[in-house]
Amino acid sequence: MTALVPALLALALGQAAAAPAAPEPPPIAAPAVDAPEPDLSPLPRRYTIERVVVSGLHHAREPEVRRHLLVTEGDLLDEERVLLSRLRLLQLGWFSKVETRVERGSERGLVVLVVEVVERNTLLVTDLVLGSTGPQPIYGGLGLSQQNFLGRGFGLSGAFVYGGSPAGRPQDPGRFAVRGSFFAPDLPLARRGARGERGLVLGATVLFVRGEELACGDPDCDAFSDDFGAAPRLRYQRASFEGTIGIRPGAFERLLASYRYEALRELSAGGTPAAPENLPALRPGRSRLSALTGTYEIDTRDDFFLPREGLRGLAQVTFGSRVLGGDYEYSRYLLQLETAFGLLDLPLRLQATLGAAQGGAPFFERFYPADLAYFAVGPALARSLELNFSTDSRYDAFVAMGGLEYAVPLWQRQAFFRRGYLALGARGVYSSQVLGGARTRFSRTPVSAELALRLDTPVGVFNASLGYAVDNLL
Amino acid sequence: MRHLLAALGAAAALGAVAAGPPEPLAARVAPRAGRVEASLDLSAAFPAATERDFGNGLTNVVAIYVSVVPDGSRAPAALYGRVVEILFDVWEETYAVTVKDPRAPQGVHYVLPDFAALRRFLSEARGVDLGPVQALPGAPYHLEARVEVNPVSREQLQRTREYIANPAAGTRTSGGTRSVLGAVASFLLREPDPGSDVHLFRSRSFAPGAAASGAGR
Repeated sequence: MTALVPALLALALGQAAAAPAAPEPPPIAAPAVDAPEPDLSPLPRRYTIERVVVSGLHHAREPEVRRHLLVTEGDLLDEERVLLSRLRLLQLGWFSKVETRVERGSERGLVVLVVEVVERNTLLVTDLVLGSTGPQPIYGGLGLSQQNFLGRGFGLSGAFVYGGSPAGRPQDPGRFAVRGSFFAPDLPLARRGARGERGLVLGATVLFVRGEELACGDPDCDAFSDDFGAAPRLRYQRASFEGTIGIRPGAFERLLASYRYEALRELSAGGTPAAPENLPALRPGRSRLSALTGTYEIDTRDDFFLPREGLRGLAQVTFGSRVLGGDYEYSRYLLQLETAFGLLDLPLRLQATLGAAQGGAPFFERFYPADLAYFAVGPALARSLELNFSTDSRYDAFVAMGGLEYAVPLWQRQAFFRRGYLALGARGVYSSQVLGGARTRFSRTPVSAELALRLDTPVGVFNASLGYAVDNLL
Repeated sequence: MRHLLAALGAAAALGAVAAGPPEPLAARVAPRAGRVEASLDLSAAFPAATERDFGNGLTNVVAIYVSVVPDGSRAPAALYGRVVEILFDVWEETYAVTVKDPRAPQGVHYVLPDFAALRRFLSEARGVDLGPVQALPGAPYHLEARVEVNPVSREQLQRTREYIANPAAGTRTSGGTRSVLGAVASFLLREPDPGSDVHLFRSRSFAPGAAASGAGR
């Protein structure tokens, strides 16, 4: 506790000194004559926890809550472990308030530890998509995620994006994507009551996409000059399932192994046929993708919304092979890093991504550079749930991104808009179809910038982004 | 675009929301054996409602920091820190209090019979050692106090933090969606509010010779 003194003292002085002068206080009373005498022989108290009572639960399951407690019945009352248990429950994100107290037990020397919780909203809006492009005058989508599904800490998420029939082709089927995910971040392996061990990670994702890629090969293509109806295109359908199992080697790490199977189908698009060299990579007719993915994740950031320190990293390797029953023989490598630290008392984030896809990867397993930029100069546009609504269908085999984002905190309060900050960012993106190859006119401007107002709310993070507006609405 | 820029500008104009202004601090300064001691009235930090917290049967910590600050300056001329640990014994129904400060870093122990006594004990901070009389500023100064109830250290928060986030998009990491409402992949890493209470106080201005004459209000 004494270690707190110097650090907090500096903070205290800074805050109080900056404040305006206080009004005159009432006179202080003369020192009391009945000041207590020091007790020279304090006896340490040794109570045993007779019971642990958890109250205030409506949605979360009590065994799941107890699993995160560091104390249990029969333990000697250890206040440090009680405090750490309380903080652990708070950090689960399920509760807005956690209080602990001790009551008398059934006989002297025994106590009841009462844990009172107030549950919070765990249903989040994860995606809210609204945009407009030439080939798709209006499209939109929504994503929701229940972060405490069944009251057991599971994540259940769903999202969709719908675009309807493309411009100039009112008879064509609509473009859409639907995704559903289940995630168990910490499935207990040991018997109930065992504490401190890390559990298994399990997950599953299904994805269905019906989309199309315009395949003219030139952004000034004549077919793009009218209503896009005559433009050559690749229409396709994807039905994907991915299962994941993993472990947590450390408190901030995950090691995951995934298997993905996709049934792919090239659909008849009609109209002008595309030149083969302009078509995004996909086998004609029906095909299958079967791939194994290994992922390592680490996240030591101190705050997901406005981190001031820590590292978030992801390293992922994917192998697709005929040996696994697929039609695509390829490998894919992805490395993402983000570090955060304070510069002049304001949070600064550095971001980097490196990616490579080798062999005969289908187009959606390659890299779409606009996904990594704040906005794209030219026809490209970041995809929505893997649907591309732009006229740029270039998917590259190599990608590199470097960026920084500076944050200016605006407020923090107990309200719907709990926190807000102004983000100023810049990114550079390089991509190429072959290693060391030149950029094309589709993505010749590598730099993008961002000015955004980011808001932390109980239902998600709202991002009023100038870059998004430039790309999607203007 | 104009609407968006206007919204961003308006948000920026709100500026940072500072902590609330300090409450008035009734204080008395007096010399004692060549040093300056202050007596402070911190009762505003301990309303009657704190009985529920301090009576929870677990150790509660009150950290009190006092500084002497020359008027018109932000740099303190003298500092003092005191940590009070309070433990209500559910079987004895008494409050065991330990006070630690630079003069007694190992702590001085008291046993108080009820909450009224505890509240009085906490509210009337006496013997606040502000250093030698000669070290006080030669210009008018005031006292600032910060009272924290149950501060949680960064180290304690770090010890409990784990990466058990639910990725909002499930297990699939490629093919991102950049949306108006961004994904919250690490929602569960949210920094919790451990519920600490912080109170700031500021006294009236004292003349340079006030300590020698035992001035105060």
